[in-house]
Amino acid sequence: MKKLLLAFGLIATCLVTAFSQGRSVTGVVTSADENSGIPGVTVVEKGTQNATFTDIDGRYTLSVASDNAVLTFSFIGYVNQDKVVGSEASIDVTLIPDIESLDEAIVMGYGNQKRSKISGAVGTISTKEITSLPVLRTEQALQGRAAGVQVTQNSGQPGSTQSIRIRGTGSLNNAEPLFVVDGIPSGGIDYLNPSDIESISILKDAASAAIYGARGGNGVVLITTKSGSKNQKAQITYESYYGIQEPWKYMALLNAEEYAILMNESRSAGGLTPLAALSNPTALGEGFDWQDEIFERAPMMNHSFSFTNGTAKSSTAIGGSYFTQDGIIGGEKGRFERYTFRVNTRQEAGEKFRTGQNVNFTYLDRSALAENNEFATPVGRALNMDPTTAARRPDGSFAYSEFIDSDIANPANQIALTNDQWVTNRFVGSTFGEYDILSNLKFRSTMSVDLSLGSQTIFNPTYDLGIGPNDPNRPAYEWRETNSLVRGENKWSTWQWENTLDYTKEFQNGDDIQVTAGYSALRSHYTNFYGSRDSLVSNEVEYAYLNNSLNSAEQAPSANGGVSESSFVAQFMRINYSLGNAWSFSGTVRRDGSSRFGANNRYGVFPSLSAAYNLTELPWVAEKDWIDFLKLRGSWGQNGNADGIGNFDYTSLVYNGLNYTFGPDQQQVNGAGPVNTSNPDLKWETVVQTNFGLDADLYKGKLNIVLDYFVKSTNDMLAVVPLPGIVGFSPSATNVASAKNSGVELALNHRNQVGDWNYSIGGNIAFIKNEVTGLGEGGQPISTGNVFGAGDFVSYTEIGMPIAYFYGFETDGIFQTDAEADAYRVYVDQEFVRIQPDAQAGDVRFVDQNGDGVVDGDDKVQIGNPHPDFTYGLNMEVKHKGFDLSLFLQGSHGNDLYNGVFRYDLNTTNLPVSALERWTGEGTSDIHPRISHSDPNQNNRVSDRFIEDGSYMRVKNLQLGYTLPASVLEQMKISKFRVYVAASNLFTFTNYSGLDPEIGSRGTLEIGIDRGFYPSARSFMAGVNITF
Amino acid sequence: MNQKTLFSACIVAISLMACKQDFLEIKPLVGASEANFFLNAADAEASIIACYNPLQQEVTNLQGFGQLAPHFRWYFGDIVSDDSFKGGSGDGDEPELLLFENFQGNSTSKLILAEWQAAYRGIAYCNLSINRIPEIDMDPTDKARYIGEAAFLRALWYFNLVTMFGDVPLVLDNLAPSEYQQERSPASVIWAQIELDLEVARQGLPNRSGMSVSQIGRVTRGAATSLLAKAHAYQSEWQACYDMANEVMASGEYFLDPNYSNIFTESGENGPGSIWEIQYMNASGGNWGNQLEGTFTNVFTRARGQFGGYGFNIPEQNFVDEFEANDPRLTATVFQEGDAMGDRGVFSLDATGMPHPYYTKKYFINAGDEAPFGDPNPNGYSNDRMIRYADVILFKAEAAYHLGIEDEAKAAVRMVRDRARGGAEQQFPGVLPNTAVNFATGEALLEMIYHERRVELGLEGHRFFDIVRQGRAATLLGEDGFTSGTHEVFPIPEAEITLSGGLITQNNGY
Repeated sequence: MKKLLLAFGLIATCLVTAFSQGRSVTGVVTSADENSGIPGVTVVEKGTQNATFTDIDGRYTLSVASDNAVLTFSFIGYVNQDKVVGSEASIDVTLIPDIESLDEAIVMGYGNQKRSKISGAVGTISTKEITSLPVLRTEQALQGRAAGVQVTQNSGQPGSTQSIRIRGTGSLNNAEPLFVVDGIPSGGIDYLNPSDIESISILKDAASAAIYGARGGNGVVLITTKSGSKNQKAQITYESYYGIQEPWKYMALLNAEEYAILMNESRSAGGLTPLAALSNPTALGEGFDWQDEIFERAPMMNHSFSFTNGTAKSSTAIGGSYFTQDGIIGGEKGRFERYTFRVNTRQEAGEKFRTGQNVNFTYLDRSALAENNEFATPVGRALNMDPTTAARRPDGSFAYSEFIDSDIANPANQIALTNDQWVTNRFVGSTFGEYDILSNLKFRSTMSVDLSLGSQTIFNPTYDLGIGPNDPNRPAYEWRETNSLVRGENKWSTWQWENTLDYTKEFQNGDDIQVTAGYSALRSHYTNFYGSRDSLVSNEVEYAYLNNSLNSAEQAPSANGGVSESSFVAQFMRINYSLGNAWSFSGTVRRDGSSRFGANNRYGVFPSLSAAYNLTELPWVAEKDWIDFLKLRGSWGQNGNADGIGNFDYTSLVYNGLNYTFGPDQQQVNGAGPVNTSNPDLKWETVVQTNFGLDADLYKGKLNIVLDYFVKSTNDMLAVVPLPGIVGFSPSATNVASAKNSGVELALNHRNQVGDWNYSIGGNIAFIKNEVTGLGEGGQPISTGNVFGAGDFVSYTEIGMPIAYFYGFETDGIFQTDAEADAYRVYVDQEFVRIQPDAQAGDVRFVDQNGDGVVDGDDKVQIGNPHPDFTYGLNMEVKHKGFDLSLFLQGSHGNDLYNGVFRYDLNTTNLPVSALERWTGEGTSDIHPRISHSDPNQNNRVSDRFIEDGSYMRVKNLQLGYTLPASVLEQMKISKFRVYVAASNLFTFTNYSGLDPEIGSRGTLEIGIDRGFYPSARSFMAGVNITF
Repeated sequence: MNQKTLFSACIVAISLMACKQDFLEIKPLVGASEANFFLNAADAEASIIACYNPLQQEVTNLQGFGQLAPHFRWYFGDIVSDDSFKGGSGDGDEPELLLFENFQGNSTSKLILAEWQAAYRGIAYCNLSINRIPEIDMDPTDKARYIGEAAFLRALWYFNLVTMFGDVPLVLDNLAPSEYQQERSPASVIWAQIELDLEVARQGLPNRSGMSVSQIGRVTRGAATSLLAKAHAYQSEWQACYDMANEVMASGEYFLDPNYSNIFTESGENGPGSIWEIQYMNASGGNWGNQLEGTFTNVFTRARGQFGGYGFNIPEQNFVDEFEANDPRLTATVFQEGDAMGDRGVFSLDATGMPHPYYTKKYFINAGDEAPFGDPNPNGYSNDRMIRYADVILFKAEAAYHLGIEDEAKAAVRMVRDRARGGAEQQFPGVLPNTAVNFATGEALLEMIYHERRVELGLEGHRFFDIVRQGRAATLLGEDGFTSGTHEVFPIPEAEITLSGGLITQNNGY
């Protein structure tokens, strides 16, 4: 490519030099993002024919008439730049890539479209944005990058999934978008190496996503991997980084002395004598820091190489990578390893036929600790474990707590005992052939396969934290006398065959039409086989094989397996029509059928329409020279969400597990019967979305604005709504519920150059409002989010409110005296009744909302909203000479979190330091109640006391890089060499008291509940990128 | 135009490909569907086992609500009565139960919803079997037995419903969506159906002696007759109650285990005085999500702290005081401070971490007998002693008393007392003398029958329902808040009223 340009440039130079006169100016034109010279840049003296091109190193020489001359530098894909010559003899110029180039082809699903013509709402993320920051997972590349795309981690543990919501939570079921990688719908994209990605398009509105019909309802994320381009010289890139992760925050908890004081107080209040072991609190001192025990500094590392090459008739891209990340809890017990290998090739055969192949193999090895529940996670246990107990006894053995039992067992021992590993081998490949039937009519056929083999091993060794054998005081969770092993093999396979016809025609009057029509068939198959044995001879995980069991002692060997299958077929058609440069229209219709839908609703039809008008075509706009481009967009469309439906949800299966046991030998006898009601009407969830948008490029590419307003209604939403109990069988999901999301999204990008300094600032923000509009007959609300510390559900989904808002009691301070508690009364049926008869001084006053004299379920109200008012991302970048500095911020504002970390139901757990501010006498606290073992007033029931503001702003990435100058590299035959240091999650600004405010969802109906969340790490890394 | 023709042809070709319908017809590869079930005797047997299965669901996954809710018999039978307190870690542990204990419980409680749903879920399986098994071509004796088993279980569920709620919808068939909303039927209609079903069961079921050992736990004719005696007692139909109780006693199928304290041990399960028990097994690997093999009662009623339980169902002083001096049944029923709690250590307040001086003992199991792995807490093996021979004998005593046959009433009470002290002979002075019984008459005799019932069947989930049917609840529980005319039954779950479109009405006073 460079050679061609050079040749062209040289010829042109010869031609133009003939006209040259006056004095000459020289200089180098470099690229702002590559820091290397750009060959072939046109340099024109403004208002004349006097021009030249840069050579292979980006150098130019041009004679100009006078000091007043203005030079215009232009090159495709870069923003034009003017320079006044003045007295300078040498003018170096850095061109800024035009990231929002109007001619850029945007991947739209079954074809591309020019950015200037797009009439829907599409967000894009370029390869540069993905590779500029070392993201560990592809989903992370989406976070904060596109307005209206909310990415939250479901856990900070390596390899954990992220929840992605495009334009709000649009379903009570599966609200994740559809991922399509190189045309293949993919469940999960953790198998991708982020460095392999060429581009990501996010189809946000229904009109854009309508081409994916019944599966596009939650939005579509289209990922295209690098495939190289023709006539490209061979290039090898190597990227690597090494980093250290560490926890960035510990929760402030009671130390041993404080714990003892509070426990003694609690027991006294509950009518018990203080425990002897805690009778002298001061002697206990600081005690043991369990958080420090479980957290550690953990390494991570990435190596990635790629090779691209292009000839006149073919191109090849090969990529391989290795990534490993240990957990900040448990280290290698929470390790995630990923090996990827990818080959993408394209060939031309003759004039009319093209073919291509994408082949990807990924090996994933993930060990994981239990996370994000209040029963058995290291985090939950470390926060609740009493500080008077150390992890180990002086002899080195793990200790148990004398004060807490039940779920709160020694977390350090738990980490040591956990052996839970998934090994996945995944092969994803596709091949296509494309044939030009006519010059403007193409036929393309693509066959793809996604095969994933997942092996799971869970080994539970025996252990006993008792002092000596059969210590009767050891709590139930601190010993296990039989080891057990579970081994499972899972196989997922999907094939897809798609055929499309693509017709384009430009009319003489400047109009053009593009028609895409196609047919798609997809079949998925899943099988598994699981076996479990116990009483293994060895207690070591390396000998944990099913054959190694002692049969005589064995309790419960088991084997089971299953199979499931589903299919989709679709026909679709899209017509894009442009009326000159002014109007562009797009219409899509897709008909989808699936085996998952009930017999009465096998097929659905999903239409959409959109239009855009280019205001720059209006004379009064065109004459404003600060406006480069201005476009208004409007779209309407319908699509569906079928991915939350199980394969056989429409029928009532006879389940073979309704067993019972008879006889003295307790023999299990098989029982069988239906469990659910059947639903032959079952179908997709219907999403109807209207979108209005504006795209503007202003000030010669320096400012780019994208503004969108949308209303997205999800109807026929699947909900398992309660049936009258007399039906007996469990209700199956029916298409009864509905929800609405509406919002505004704004993205702004500004780039500029001042002298040698290049900088850019980009930001995006989205305000989204979520509301449930229907929940079926009777509109029975849905309670979810059982928090054990409160002994109740905290999330509530009901009509007219946001999905899964926090629901509980409103508190009104603390009763300062017994008299005050006694005086809290209301007239009911002529009686002046005590509202909280069990309350005394120091207890919480709960608001009796309905004034019926009792605080009960009818008095619960909204106490918080887990949905943010807005989410935002901010990206800043400065470049100077070889240095680059970038800062990426991301945040969420106005969302609440429920702090359900502490197990108040267990009485003796450790507590946050705020417990020290408890009520201890009149006037001591109006916020924190007294501590009582028996808690007769249920001070810890679900209430606004546990709601905290979850807003945060996070410095996701701060990076400083240096690129060696081209002159140095030339001798080494290296075309690019960049080193950098970076920090992730360097600072987090939040008022939340827990370990991490960035808490995702557990399912769709439990959002923002902290049960001892596995926090994300702060990490520091250093890396190198080399291109040969 | 050539291009257009070609283009249209291609579109047509693509559309035609889509017409292959069967691509979307995928049969569920695992599990039969309703259509191909109830074809043979094996299906009938499997469907009957499925009728038993809901009995084990004492912690029910509330249908459509996605919540677990316990509904142990001792929740309403014992805790709501004067025999025991709720217990737990404090008042905030199962707070709804505390409300019911204080007669403040309301219709939004998930506990009563669990009772309601569990019963109708059981009924749905029974209805399916009762209605579909007749069409199967199979051995008539087996067929009558299967239908008898389902009829017994349906009667049992309706018994729970009518005693908990009074009038309830009578559902005898599996419902189509158009039939989902139904009115309540009067309690008298429910009782009539219970009697009818139990008659069907009595006709079809074998005697206990006619069953192989491996079948123990299945419903017998004796169980059906006993439940019928109980049903009549609840309606004060004393002659019928007397007849049925007599039939059980005359059958020779049952006798009282000579050793009372053996009844609630593992070896005492399905013993000679056991008429019917819900069977639980000591399942390994069970946990909260897989609850259908072991019972939660063991862990729920065991003391907290080192004893590894949740400490519910704390015996009241009033209950402990009911036992006569030296009544050996007290030590078989209640743990007192200083007692050894099996292999789990000695019971002291410090060791439990709670201020309660008593714990229930009948469903206590040793740590050494627990399932060896899995979640160690929820799985216990103890069978739930639903109908004991002593229960039937005491029903006979009550019936005989009301029929004016006081001698027979006294003889029945004596049987129970004789066994309690380990034989007919007066072995130790002061241990349950029968003299008082022999001379009692009228009210005093009735009080003795009531006393005997309370101590013999203590903490087995009968008490509240007994004192309600005996008309004594207002007297005994008035201080706790019991109001006559309201608290004889529990509120109808609010959700059920809503879902019935208002067809179901609320009980008086709720």
